Amino acid sequence: MVSFQTKSNRLVFGALILLVALGVFPWLGPPVYFISLLFTVFLYVILATSWNLIGGYAGYLSFGHVAFFGIGAYATALMMKWLNLSPFWTILSSIPAGGVAGLIAVIIGYPCLRLRGPYFAVITFCFAFVVDLGIKNLDIFGGPEGLWLKSMDLPIDVIRSILFEVMMVIMVLAIAFSVWTSRSKFGAGLRAIKEDEEVAQTMSINAPKLKIQAFALSAFFPGMAGGVYAYNLTYIHADIVFDIMISILIVLMALFGGGGTWLGPIIGAVVLTLVNEGLSTFVRAEFARIIYGCLFIGVIIFMPNGIMEFFKRGQREPSG
Amino acid sequence: MNTVLIIQSLISGIMMGSVYALLGVGFSLTWGVMKVIHISHAAFGLLGAFLAYSLLQFWGMDPILSLIVSVPLLFFLACLIYHFLIRPITQAKEVIVASMILTFGIAIILENLMLLIWSPDPRLLTISYTSKVLVLGTLYFQYPRMAGFLLSAVGVLVIHFFLKKTYTGKAVRAAWQQPEAAQLYGVNLSRISMITFGLAVSSAGAGGVGMAFLYSFEPHTHNLWLIYLFLVVIVGGVGNVLGAALAGLIIGVITGLSLAFLPYQWVNLLTFGLLMVILVIRPHGLFKGEV
Repeated sequence: MVSFQTKSNRLVFGALILLVALGVFPWLGPPVYFISLLFTVFLYVILATSWNLIGGYAGYLSFGHVAFFGIGAYATALMMKWLNLSPFWTILSSIPAGGVAGLIAVIIGYPCLRLRGPYFAVITFCFAFVVDLGIKNLDIFGGPEGLWLKSMDLPIDVIRSILFEVMMVIMVLAIAFSVWTSRSKFGAGLRAIKEDEEVAQTMSINAPKLKIQAFALSAFFPGMAGGVYAYNLTYIHADIVFDIMISILIVLMALFGGGGTWLGPIIGAVVLTLVNEGLSTFVRAEFARIIYGCLFIGVIIFMPNGIMEFFKRGQREPSG
Repeated sequence: MNTVLIIQSLISGIMMGSVYALLGVGFSLTWGVMKVIHISHAAFGLLGAFLAYSLLQFWGMDPILSLIVSVPLLFFLACLIYHFLIRPITQAKEVIVASMILTFGIAIILENLMLLIWSPDPRLLTISYTSKVLVLGTLYFQYPRMAGFLLSAVGVLVIHFFLKKTYTGKAVRAAWQQPEAAQLYGVNLSRISMITFGLAVSSAGAGGVGMAFLYSFEPHTHNLWLIYLFLVVIVGGVGNVLGAALAGLIIGVITGLSLAFLPYQWVNLLTFGLLMVILVIRPHGLFKGEV
């Protein structure tokens, strides 16, 4: 117990140092490329970690999680446009934007979470499409032209650094929540649902309520991240923030790292984002995507249980 | 409201719907028989459409004749993909999820290969009879749509009779209903799965040509087709060939009728909204039935 305590203390200490280093990083004037790279890494860590709440812990695989990210982005952009928000309030408006995403998750989760396995995957997949089409065709959402956001009246690198910090804070919150879930009664309930929902029900676990809560929370963080992302990009379009590729990427990241643990999605998101960025920097876009497609296949065939299991198995094998 | 317009949209709806049916039948079979949700199904359909386009462009081959080339090619390609990629994952605990991600990977690869070969420009099959119309009284029938309709009707019937009448087809149905019992009676599951997958992918190729008769297409189009596939399978019931055919027709008629009164984008939104409603109310399809 004591050794566990010190080990976990050491982990927390290491994580804090890493966070401080990351927090100071954008103010040291590094090349823009690295700031935006880390920004993207943070974004995907948030997306994969929050997907993991419903997909990893509860085993309900949402294939349309990009919808909540996009909803958050649009909510922030519209709030800014309609309420004429100042930069400070625009950043804060990512909280209600996450709330909107969470609320929509409750509304669609209520009927959809009754579906199991592939049917849940299919309905969430289609949900993302419906939202995408709806936004493209409604003029109040900017229609096919997309929406512009007014940027702050500050030097560009200061803006970039501020939004970098905000994204990092959201990431820390999402990870902290994920860690808490993995150790709480809430998380235990979700795991019980994943193992066997009927048995969980008979053990007086309120499965429908837990699933809705997990789904709403797993939509909340992407919604917030979407708001900050929109503000960083200053322009949003349905094709960018509702890209179906992102949905699948989130699932792949969580599974690649190993769903159902809090660390897995983080590893998956960091590794796959770096690979993706590296590829698109050095190779032509089409080839990069082809290689990425091969990666999808490779991950599924060679490490269906995630990279963490893959290495653990490798260690265990010699001893039998 | 005038009656001629409604009958006219009904006819074009049935013609569109038959093509959706042909495109969806194979998707339904792979899902039902192999428990594989084949996300790249529509991408293979698109490949069929592009092959037809190129054969028409360079050798002036009629799109329907081009199936003689593309169907065996797709069948062979599908067998390879089954053997090397799909079969290894069918033993996994969560086949459906694994198959969705794996075949999404295949879809990405196909899409980008098509982008490299055919560029992102929208294409249209322009055949000698593209603009020809058969007029019967106040109704008119466009030749390309009729070609698509005939192709799809024949395609769906061939698959139906293959499953009902031939030995291999019966084995496919047996493997779907009772995998263990079928194996006891000497059905080689992995061979049957390979045939099912090959059949499904080649029917997708034919369905893609049918779609090319109706709409313009470019390498990203398969994403939109994919939603129609889900619609056909969910409405028709997983693994149900006649259900898929009927579902295709229903969706076609709904699309045809609403196209007469709504702008094109809204029609898509309506159909997908319908899909979500059906999924919630009747996730196992509107019809009772088997393969």
